[in-house]
This record gives sequence, structure tokens and C-alpha cells, in this order.
Amino acid sequence: MVSHAAHLLPAQGPIGVFIHHNTLHAFQDRTFEQAVVEAGRIFGAEPYMPESAYRAALRSGRIQDADLGRVLSSEGASGALWRVLLAPGLRELPPETIEWEIEENGLLERFRDDLPTAAREALCGEPPRALFDFWIERQAPAEPLVRSPGRPRDGVLAATGKDLDDAVNPLLIKLAGAYLDQGLAYWPMPNREEGFWRSAMTLLAQPGTALPELRALPRWIKRWSPLDAEGAIEAALQALGAENCEELIQQELLALPGWAGLMRRLEDDPGLAPHEPVPARLMDFLAVRLVLTVAGVEVATGGPGAWRMPAGAAPSRAADLARAARYFDAAQLMGLSPRTLAQWSEPEVEEFRSAVDQFSGGERRRVWHAAYEWRHARQILVPLRSHAVQGPLPEPERVAAQVFFCIDEREESIRRHLEEADPEIETFGAAGFFGVAMNYRGIDDAHGVSLCPVVIEPRHAVHEQAAAGHESADGRRRELRRMWARIARESFVSSRTLVRGWLGTTLLGLFSLFPLAARVLSPRRYAQWMDWLNGSVLPEPRTELAFMRAGEAGHLAAEGLLTGFTLTEQVDRVASVLSPAGLRKRMARLVVVLGHGSASLNNPHESAHDCGACGGRRGGPNARIFAAMANHPGVRAGLAERGITIPDGTWFVGGYHDTCSDGIDLYDLDYVPDTHRGDLDRVRASLDLARAASANERARRFEACSSSRDTAEGLRHVQERAEHLAEPRPEYGHCTNSVCFVGRRQLTRGIFLDRRAFLASYDATEDPDDSDLARILGAVIPVCAGISLEYYFSFVDNERYGCGTKLPHNVTGLVGVMNGYESDLRTGLPWQMVEIHEPVRILFVVETEPARVLATIHANPALKEFLENRWIRLASVDPADATAIHYYAGGGIWERIEGEDEPLRRSPSSIDWYLGRMEHLPLARIQPRLRNAA
Amino acid sequence: MAESLLAALVLAPGLAFSGLGLAWLAGYTPHERLIARLTAAVYSFCVVAAAAGWAIGSNTAAVRTPVWYWFQAGSYHFEISLLADRLSWPLIELTAVLVGLTGVFSVRYLHRDRGYFRFFLLLHLFAFAALLTLAAGTFDLLAAGWELVGVSSVLLIAFFDERREPVRNAVRLFAYYRVSGLGLLLAIYLLHRLEHTTEAAKLFRGPWPDDAALMSASAATLVGLLLVMAAAGKAAQFPFSGWLPRAMEGPTPSSAIFYGAISVHLGAYLLLRAEPVLRASGVAAWTCTVVGLLTAALATLVHRASVDAKTSLAYAGMAQLGIIFAEIGLGFPRLALVHVMGHAVVRTLQFLRAPSMLHDYHRVHAAAGGELGRTGAHYHHLLPERFRLALYRAALERGYLDAWLSRYVTGPVLSFGEALESWETGERQGTAGEPSRLAGEPEG
Repeated sequence: MVSHAAHLLPAQGPIGVFIHHNTLHAFQDRTFEQAVVEAGRIFGAEPYMPESAYRAALRSGRIQDADLGRVLSSEGASGALWRVLLAPGLRELPPETIEWEIEENGLLERFRDDLPTAAREALCGEPPRALFDFWIERQAPAEPLVRSPGRPRDGVLAATGKDLDDAVNPLLIKLAGAYLDQGLAYWPMPNREEGFWRSAMTLLAQPGTALPELRALPRWIKRWSPLDAEGAIEAALQALGAENCEELIQQELLALPGWAGLMRRLEDDPGLAPHEPVPARLMDFLAVRLVLTVAGVEVATGGPGAWRMPAGAAPSRAADLARAARYFDAAQLMGLSPRTLAQWSEPEVEEFRSAVDQFSGGERRRVWHAAYEWRHARQILVPLRSHAVQGPLPEPERVAAQVFFCIDEREESIRRHLEEADPEIETFGAAGFFGVAMNYRGIDDAHGVSLCPVVIEPRHAVHEQAAAGHESADGRRRELRRMWARIARESFVSSRTLVRGWLGTTLLGLFSLFPLAARVLSPRRYAQWMDWLNGSVLPEPRTELAFMRAGEAGHLAAEGLLTGFTLTEQVDRVASVLSPAGLRKRMARLVVVLGHGSASLNNPHESAHDCGACGGRRGGPNARIFAAMANHPGVRAGLAERGITIPDGTWFVGGYHDTCSDGIDLYDLDYVPDTHRGDLDRVRASLDLARAASANERARRFEACSSSRDTAEGLRHVQERAEHLAEPRPEYGHCTNSVCFVGRRQLTRGIFLDRRAFLASYDATEDPDDSDLARILGAVIPVCAGISLEYYFSFVDNERYGCGTKLPHNVTGLVGVMNGYESDLRTGLPWQMVEIHEPVRILFVVETEPARVLATIHANPALKEFLENRWIRLASVDPADATAIHYYAGGGIWERIEGEDEPLRRSPSSIDWYLGRMEHLPLARIQPRLRNAA
Repeated sequence: MAESLLAALVLAPGLAFSGLGLAWLAGYTPHERLIARLTAAVYSFCVVAAAAGWAIGSNTAAVRTPVWYWFQAGSYHFEISLLADRLSWPLIELTAVLVGLTGVFSVRYLHRDRGYFRFFLLLHLFAFAALLTLAAGTFDLLAAGWELVGVSSVLLIAFFDERREPVRNAVRLFAYYRVSGLGLLLAIYLLHRLEHTTEAAKLFRGPWPDDAALMSASAATLVGLLLVMAAAGKAAQFPFSGWLPRAMEGPTPSSAIFYGAISVHLGAYLLLRAEPVLRASGVAAWTCTVVGLLTAALATLVHRASVDAKTSLAYAGMAQLGIIFAEIGLGFPRLALVHVMGHAVVRTLQFLRAPSMLHDYHRVHAAAGGELGRTGAHYHHLLPERFRLALYRAALERGYLDAWLSRYVTGPVLSFGEALESWETGERQGTAGEPSRLAGEPEG
């Protein structure tokens, strides 16, 4: 029973590692449209954007009349009525305000002034009040309100006006917070190893004063604390006299879903606890909650079972008025005058009423949303087709270098700018762990962490260690860092204690003014200065990765991990990236592989900006090890056997891209052969141009930065953001995601995609058996859909599905954030991360024949569920003819994209296209040679 | 010269507040950028003016502006005069600097928030009120600043007014302020009755902190106790401590400037200003010391079990404020002043860094090689288990202050009110009607 309720809880773990996932994962076996409604009912959340947002989209042209028409006709709906119910649309006239609307706001004095012309003419001179009276007389009797049995708190609230949650939640939050704390508190909670139930009971049995609302607590604790959690739950349910235990448990758990969810998450996977694993159990949490509830109910009502909900109230007059007002409004929109209606037969009236009722707010928003997404698909696919019709941009005659990026949509701009800066550089996209799933420990890290998608359990451990001859520098570095850590820790702790805090704040307190002023007034300079200080004090040992394992068996390290990779395993990993990307021959002299991550301040959600393919961590080491493997002669020989030729003249370099400050670090440059220095310099120069240009493009979204042609200014601006203590939006993250292209770069090269498209390299012409396709889709669909859906839900209901505004967030126990002083643990994304998002399900555009992609997806049950339950959208581009684009309409039906309703504009460069504009921009064809060609 | 600087720097935030407020009333909400520039300009001016005024005025014992009269009632005149001496100058400068830095911080932090304008409006009001409190020449004027600080503080806690908890916690703070504020008003009333003035210059002779109160010991005791009560409310001292963690509902920078930096330290300022009174009365001084030590002990206990960034900072700060009270009570005003200043700066920085706590913690954790020394181990060894558990529960439940308050103060008051209400309803319904009582309500 508990586990059934548990799957409704948020699946977010401790916030230090943030994994994007479908907020409604528990509902994924239903269609998207059913799921949003059902979940909306359970969580009290919104399924779609509000109607006003869609209406605004219609006015601005983001939705077109044709889109609504298309969706309505596919529904086979009563066209004209539904159309006007959408726009101009029914007004919101809820029972709470209807009397005021009638008496004070003149609802019945005049017709609406935004009626369609025909309706206005039909109603000209008619009395509005008569129309309203008609509906008052002719409405069906209201159905009685059905009240859910609710939980004890609801019953007590309805009967006595006292809110049990005010007494139960604060205590439960304090206990759960202390229990799950990962090292913030000076004293850890005693007896944590015995589980939450036991340690909470032991504590609450101590002498103390409970709130008067819980003064019966000691008695119940005495009675139940000898039981185990399961026994206590059973006893409590009995005492409460619960009729529907399942419903009650579900509602009690959903009263604080964040805390309950974290308990459950840590129960399932104790390894998620970043520092101090605790034996968390959802049962324990529920048991404590029920004991507190029982005590509260008893105090409030005199007995633990006396909390029944009062019977449902009879429908009020206001509800009748509001219903009549709805028909009144609909009739106006249709131009139905009282005289016309008077001639209608009863069944006709009945039919009209049910048509209006049937097209309720939820249904209307579903239709709106379908139109909204359809237009989005056309905004992508129609220009894509035009681009293909105009022909791909000319290929460079020779390829100077190739650069691999993560498929992440935030890398789209830097790829484009890199190609603009140097058209002889070719770019590719691969999932940012570059096939290397590993448990990695860097030289500055305390423990190893998994660097791979969360669905993979890494089996190989890789350590970064000092190269021969650099051990002493390494030792010195460790020593200095430990010393710094001791000082930092000591000043953190002691400034808060009594005696040390007294001495510290009195004697040294005023010196804090310098860092305070510097960090607030000039964060970038402060960071540069600290970097310089670090660099001049801390020695930088030359390091290398221990990733070679001799012999197939190898030896097992302590954690049950294999140390490093054997030659064959390395060949597998390198092939798994190069082969799907279609890079089997024609390698350039230099191949750069860039992982990515993001570092920022004022951002408990920092990890959400890291690489999803690295499990919410930073992917630099993956790129570095990938390059080292690909440079290994043995690996190259093994690859040659599989038809992947890396010429002797090719060198791989790994690197790391920080998507917040747009810094790029390349690794192991001293190993680059002298013959490749020239190539390296050229690529580095181009990367420098590209990252500044990309930073400048990102800056266009930020009001705080004035838009400029000087890309260095944009770069400075994003660098400052990364170091700013006050900045709530260090970067916009995945905020603009909406599309995922799986195909050759040829398909999208030269198109301005506005950082809205994931780009995975895939060459269908080199993949006769679709095995590469299966592998790629198996990786990108869950990851990209997870990101897209998390943004969708956090946007459409930021309070319920997201975690609201960041500004009052309060980091608790190093596991999550609360709102202000004491609240539920907030899960999902904050408003500042999603505010410019367009909530659409992600559109996958796969460059292969429709039948092939469909067969591949259907062969994988998880992917099939995503597609056929409409959690994602799909389109296909024919690899032989890029103008043949099909959109998947569901049920095996494809629809060919035609038409010219979304023009593809041309621009000589990206900056010419975006400069001075902040909104989402349509696709554009960036044709750098436009000037020369003329 | 110093006088005009003093007056100008106190008035500048006030003008910013009234300018913005009037513009808003006239239907014009200024653009974010304008507000940001205004904020930077006002506090740059305040910082410079305070520094200049301090430098010029340092050769005299105190800088005093001429006396104005606001209103008159009978023989009473509300005097407006500003005073800055060795006590106020450093605190005025500190306030200007910290409000300025927090203002600059907030320009970024609140960017695009729908309450941006409201936040800055209240920040200016607060700065004006705090500077007025620090520079007030009479206790009457000080009380005006004192209450304005309270108002802006309450409104900023309720900043996110779409949720229930912030508003409820704001009302709670308001109640605490009202009760403790009574102490200040009564003290002022007594000063008028007994000493016929509340002007600091007339009440105390000599330059701070070697000034002396010219009043009888019993008057000093009465006034001193009332002032300690007022100060304890503002500084979240025992028994008024419960509001401080609840005040963390507002945006982070407002928590920093109010509960880390300036507002909580105004309690200490009041006592430092009235320090001669405490010196003249052993009872008041000891009360102040005991309140401080009790708070320090309680707060440091609660802090040890706090698991969230802001509660932890709230109690850590409260503990230091307790020590500051003790320093004042024991007669170390210079030490207390230095402590106030150091503490305010440290806490401001810590509050502003609170949202980056995860980032910072992980960096330190990694640099330490994954081994951060365990805290609180010596208590573990020193105390027997039963005692330790009881102490931990007390810490977790914030010293039971909320429970005691609602059991012994608000509970009885509310029951009394309910009893009165049901008696009145019963009276009105005539003797036949039973007093209406909700089913199952606990007996008062």
C-alpha cells in the first residue's frame, strides 16, 4: 500500500546531483493528455499553461487560426461552437465572484465587447438580462458536490477551524531535516543508525514540552514506541478509524511530498546520500507522521477517530449563477439571442449545454496546447525543408580539424560559431560521456563519482594521479589544499559557535568587509584575483589517468570496480562514439573532444546545469580519457579491424567547456606532437573566437547585458555571472530546449537554431542494420525527454511541479532547499531557470526513413512508451532527399510536411540575426559567403 | 559642516523612499535600471558623507544639529534634533556601507522579480529608519526610527505574500515588536515624567562612553529595565527569541541586512546609548547581563542542531548578540561596539553566501580529502546519554520557546478572549441560550 502511494512522490534525490527526469514519471504508462489531467487532480496542479497564455500566443501569431482549425477538425468537433469557446473564449466566471460580477461589474447590463462580428450583429438590440434568465430557467439541476473523504487534517479543519498541519508539519520537518542532514548541523541527530522511526521516538520520549496542539503526544509515544514502524502504522490507522487506508496513506504522504520523496529515494538508493548514508525508510516517516497526527486529532476533537468530514454541502446559489453565466457567455459568442433560443426544442438546448460543458477548461487547454505544439513543429520543419530545397551549404574542400561536443542544446551556438569562424572545422555531437562510463576520481577529489548516464552502473574505476616526477608537487598541493580546507572549515564553524565566534567576530570580523565588498562590487575581478592567488601558491603537478588494465580479467578494486579498461574495452568505447557519428574514415589531423559542465554561485541547483549524460556532473575527464584512448596505437589497431581508420597523422585532444563562463580548457597539450602545433594553434584560436561569440549570443537573453557587436563584452558578462554571489540565473540552462536532431551535421549546418536543439551525430547511410540508431535513440530519448518534460512541468505549474522562485530558498542539510524558514523540501526547477521556456514536448527529428525509425523505436518498450503515449514528438528526414520530411501523427501514420507558412530567412552571420533581439528567434540560414558570392 | 552632512545622509534614503513612493502613488513604477542607479547614488553619498562627517566631527565630542519642533501637545514639544558622537559615527558609517552593499547585491538578486520595486522602496525606508535611530538626538525621535525599522522589517518578511507562512510569520514578528516596543514607549514616558526631557545630551553628561546619567537609582532601574525589554525584543533576546528564525521568509538580502547586520544590532545600540542608565542601576545592568547570557546559552544550544543555512545563521547570530548584551551589562561598552561592528560584517557576508553554501561546502570537503573533522564530539564524550538526548530534543525544538509561549501566554490570552466572547454571546442570546461552543473544543 505504501509503495503504491510512494510512486507518486517526487523522484528527486539530494540536490547536489541533479538528474532531469519526467516529473510525471509515475504516469508514463498513460498518454500524456490523460496523465496531466490525472496527476493534476492528485497533486492539485495545472495540466497546461493558462488559457490566457494561449490566447496571447494566438494574438502574437505564435498560434495561427489554421492550427486551431486543424486540431479541431482532427477531433471531429462541433466546429463553430468550440472555435469561439477557444477565442475570444469563455470568460472566467467562478462562483466566488459571480455575484459581484452581476451586481457591481454589470455582467448582465451589456454583451461582451469582444464578440465576433456576426454574433454582435445577431445580438444587436437584444436584452442581455433576458438571455441570462433563459439559462437560469433552462439549466439542468446541479449535481451534488462529492467530497473526498480526505485525511484527518481536512476533517479537523472543517469541524473546528484548526489546521493540524500547523502543529504536525513543523515538528516533522525538524525531525526529518535533522535525520537526513549531511553534515551541516554541529550535532548530528543521535541514534540515526537505528532508523528514523526509532530515533525519532527515542527523542520524542525525552522530557520536553510539546506544543499544546500536540500535548497528547507523550501518551501515544509511550503506547506505540515499543512497536516497529509497520506496527505503529497499523495501530494508528486503526485508531484513526480509516475506512480507505490506501487513500489516507497517499494523502498523508503527499502532505509533505518533498521530504517523503527524499526518504523514499534514499531508501531505494542509499548511495545517493552525498556524505553520510542514513538508513532512510518511507515507512518510518509515515509512522512518525501518523503518530503526530493521531495526537493532534485527539487534542483537537477529543478522540483520535473523531475527524470525519462533514457531509458535502448543497450546491450554492452562486454555483447555479456561475453555470448559467457560462451558457450565457457561450450563447453570446455564438450570437444566439433569447428569441432564437426560445424557438429551440428541449433536446437542442440540452445538446448546446452539454457541448459547452464537454468542452471544459481542461479540454480547451488540451486543444490549445496541441495547436501550440503543432505550430512549433512547423516553425522547425518547414524552414528545415526550405533549407534543404535551397541546398546544403558548400562543404569545405579540406577539413582542418574535427571537434566533438556533447549533444546538449547549449552547445549548438558554439558549434555554429566555430564553423562560422573557421569553415574548415567540422563539428559532431555525441552524448557527453563519450562512451566512457566510469567511476572517476580526480586529483583534487575526495571520492570517486560516476561519470555516465544514471541508467548505467559504471564498472570501471579511473584515477587521476601525478605523473612520474611530479609526486612531490602533488604532495605539496594536497598539503596546501588541506591546510586551506582546515582554515575555511574552522572559520565557518567557529564563527557560529559561542566562544570562538566571540573572539573571531570581535577581533577579525571587520576584515570580512574586504571580501564582502570585493565579491559584491566586482565579482569578476575578485575571481580573477583568487585564481591568480591559487595559481601562484598551489603547484600544478602534471597528471595522467590510470586507465590501462592489462589482461582481460584485471583485478578488482575495493569497491568491486575494475581498475581501468582493457584494450578491447577501450576499442569498444572509442568505436561507440566514432561509428554512430559516421566518422569511420576521413579523419582530420586534429580531433578535439569537449566535455562540458557548469560552475556558478548562488545556485543550489548548480548540478542541473552540468552534463546530463555524465549523471549531472562535469564531463571533462570523459573527454580527456577518450582522447587518450584514441591516441593509443593499440586501440587504433583494434579500431582498424572494425573498419574505423585513424590515420597516423591524426591526434586527439580532450577538453572541457564550462557552459556558464564559456571557458574552454584543453588537456594534455604537452603530449601533442610538435608536428601538430600549428593545427592546435589554429583550433584554439577558432575556439576562442567561437566561445566569445557564443557567450555574446547567450548574453542577448539577459536584460542586464547591453547587446553589442563586441563579443568580448558578452564573454566578460557571462564570466561575471558565473562568479556573482547574487546572480539567480548564472545561465539559462536547458531553458530553451525544444528539438533534438539525430542526423548528419549536413542537415543542420548553417542553420541558426537559437540554442534550442540537441544535436546528435548519426549517419544512416553507414548504419545498414540500424544498430547505431537503436543505441543513439536508446540514450538520447530518455535523457532529452526527461529534460524537456521536467522543464514543461516546472513551467506550467511552477509552484506544484517546480520549486517556485529561488529568492527565499534556504539550503537545508545539504540535501535540498526549503522555502524560507520551515517548509516542505522543494523539488523541480525554480522559476528563474524556466522563465523563458516554451513548454512543448520535445520534437525528435531523425534523419532516416520513417519506417526505419519507427521500427527501431517500437523494438524498445521504453522508447515505444515515450512515443506512443505522446510524451515526445517525432519527425523523420529522408537521408537521400532532405526535402522529404514526415511528422509522426501517432498510430503508425506519418504526415508529409509541405507548405511555405514559415519562411526561412537568410543572414550573413549569426550576430546579424540575433543582435538586439531577446525573444525566441525563428530558424535562419546563415550564409557567411553571401557577401563574397554577390 | 558636519551637521549638514549628518542631516543630509539621514535624509537621503528618506527622500529616495518618498520619491519612489510618490511616483508609485502617481501611477508610475520606475524601471529597474533607474532604481538601481538611485540606490547606488544614495548609498555612495551616504558612505562618503558619513566618512567626511565623522572625520570633521571627530574633534568635537558630538555633532548636534539645531533643534526643530515637529508638533506640540500641551506643554509637550516633539523635538527633532540629530546627534552623532563616538558611538553613532561608526555605526552610521557601517549602516551606510552595509545597506549600500546589500543594495548592489539586491539589484542582481531581485532582477525581474515582480516585487523588485517594493523591495527597494522598503530598503530605503529601512535605511532611513535605521540612520534616524542611530542619529536621533532624543529618545522620542529614536522611537520613531525604531518603529519604522519594525514596519519595514515586517513588510519584508511578508514579501512573498502569495504564500501563507511568510505572512503569518510577519504577523508574529509584528506582535513581538509591539509587545517589546511597549518598553521603549514606557521608558520615554517615564523619562518625560521624571526627567522632563528625553534628549540624550541633557540626560547624560560627558562624552560617550564616559558619560553619566543624572537620575536617581530607582528611576534608572525602572527606565533601564524597560529599555532592556525593548532592546531584547529588537535583538531577539530571551524571552523574545522565537521570532528570529521565522524572519527568514523574505529574500536573502533582506535577511542579511535586517537579521545579520543592522536591525538586530539596534537593540544593542539602544543599550549602548543608554549605558549610563544601566550603570546607574545595578538591577538593570544585571538583568541585561543575565538576559544576554541566557540567550547566548540557549541560542548556541539551538544552533548546534540547526540543519538549514538560515536557521543556523539566525541562532549563531543570536548567540553573539547575547554576548554583546552581557558585555554591555557588565560595563564594557567599547568592546561591545567593536563586537557589534565585526559581527554585523561577518554575518552579512555569511547570509549573502548562504545560497552558495552547497558549492562552498563541496569545495572545502574535496580539498580536505573528504575528511571534515566531526563537530560536537567533545559533548558526545562529556555528557551522559540521557542528558544528551534531552538536550538534543530541546535544541531541535528551539528551546521550547514556542511551546511555552503558546501554553502560558497566547493560549491563556486567547481562551480568555474566547470566554469573554461566549459570555457576551450568551448574554445577548438571553439566559436561555447555552453559550455556543464548537464541538470537541478543548477546555480553556
